[in-house]
Amino acid sequence: MNTKSQLFCAWCGVGFVVLFTLGWWIIASYVPPMSPTLTSTEVAAFYQQNTNAIRFGLMLTMISAALTAPWVAVIAVQLKRIEGEFPVLTYTQLVAGAVGIVVLLLPPLIWTTVAFRPDRDPELMLLMNDFGWLLFIMTFSPAFIQNLVIALAIFSDQGAVPVFPRWLAYFNIWVAILFIPGGLITFFKVGPFAWNGLLAFWLPLIIFFAWFLVMFLALLKTIKAQSHTAQTA
Amino acid sequence: MVSSSKNHVPGEVGIWVLILGDMVVFGLFFLVFVYYRGFDIELYTQSQKALNQNYGAFNTLLLLASSWFVVMAVESARADHGRRAAKYFGLALLCGSGFSVVKVVEYSEKLAAGLTITSNEFFMYYYIFTGLHFLHVVIGMGVLIFLIVKTRAHTFSRQDMVAVESGASFWHLVDLLWIVLFPLLYLMK
Repeated sequence: MNTKSQLFCAWCGVGFVVLFTLGWWIIASYVPPMSPTLTSTEVAAFYQQNTNAIRFGLMLTMISAALTAPWVAVIAVQLKRIEGEFPVLTYTQLVAGAVGIVVLLLPPLIWTTVAFRPDRDPELMLLMNDFGWLLFIMTFSPAFIQNLVIALAIFSDQGAVPVFPRWLAYFNIWVAILFIPGGLITFFKVGPFAWNGLLAFWLPLIIFFAWFLVMFLALLKTIKAQSHTAQTA
Repeated sequence: MVSSSKNHVPGEVGIWVLILGDMVVFGLFFLVFVYYRGFDIELYTQSQKALNQNYGAFNTLLLLASSWFVVMAVESARADHGRRAAKYFGLALLCGSGFSVVKVVEYSEKLAAGLTITSNEFFMYYYIFTGLHFLHVVIGMGVLIFLIVKTRAHTFSRQDMVAVESGASFWHLVDLLWIVLFPLLYLMK
């Protein structure tokens, strides 16, 4: 049993949340998000005023993205315990989670490009800034599928001692549904469904963090139970 | 696991994480709507006139009927009449299909009249709220089909009641959300 490795991977999820919050939210100050209605001059001013804080914060954000790799892997390993020999849902979770890393990695890189030359033409900065935000929030579908296959795998558990509790499956479906409004930001620049809105940004963000917390606790529990069973067997 | 009817939670406990969670989110949707409506009541009441209340009311009746069929289906299943339960679930599915047809007709009429998701704030909420609800209807219809297959099976027994009750509870949620959505969008003055 590789209990320690598994626990390490689960803790990487916590590491991601901490580093991501520190870099993206606190240091680079992308939260609260800037309004999509900002003019090119206002966007340029954002990058000109805190240039180095933005550069450093986004660097941390990109590092944090990589921490979701072990996290997705440990979820996959536990799902594979349910699925056994033909782990299709496990693989889907792994692939969708891998795409998720890209979604966390690329927007900070695009914003970094803006911060790289803050004296650039403001219209170009506006374009790249938009690109970063749209890529970051609108790409909810891999996470949506990831949550759904986790739920399906948990539902399919026929073991005497289930790997995960069934309510966790329903929780994942709920989380999946809550990510959907992110896809609507293409239509709006103001209101709750704009990229800085209550239902397209704040709610999915809170749910995103809540998902990490809930999955982390469930992982700890099942890894420890697995380790206990291995020792007594 | 048969508990006394007094303390009985329908379905498996987990489904209530989803149902209550969804109710909280839609509750938030409704608060947001009422809050922003307060800033421009004129726009909202004007836009509301473009909605066809008959479609909305007819769909309300369809969903209420479907919920009744689902209740009858659960009663039948409890009494071990699997095939009768399947028939009632089938009728509920028919209501759900009717709802979907009306919804598609309604959307196409609105779009043909040039009313889209970006027309104004009211129509933003109209399309998104009814759209997300419609997604629930589609999922719910999938659940009903699953329950029809399950209750029709010769192997159906009261052991399968947990699945039946869970699915039925979800369908009631689909109905309940619409019962709030309909007055909010179509009727509120």
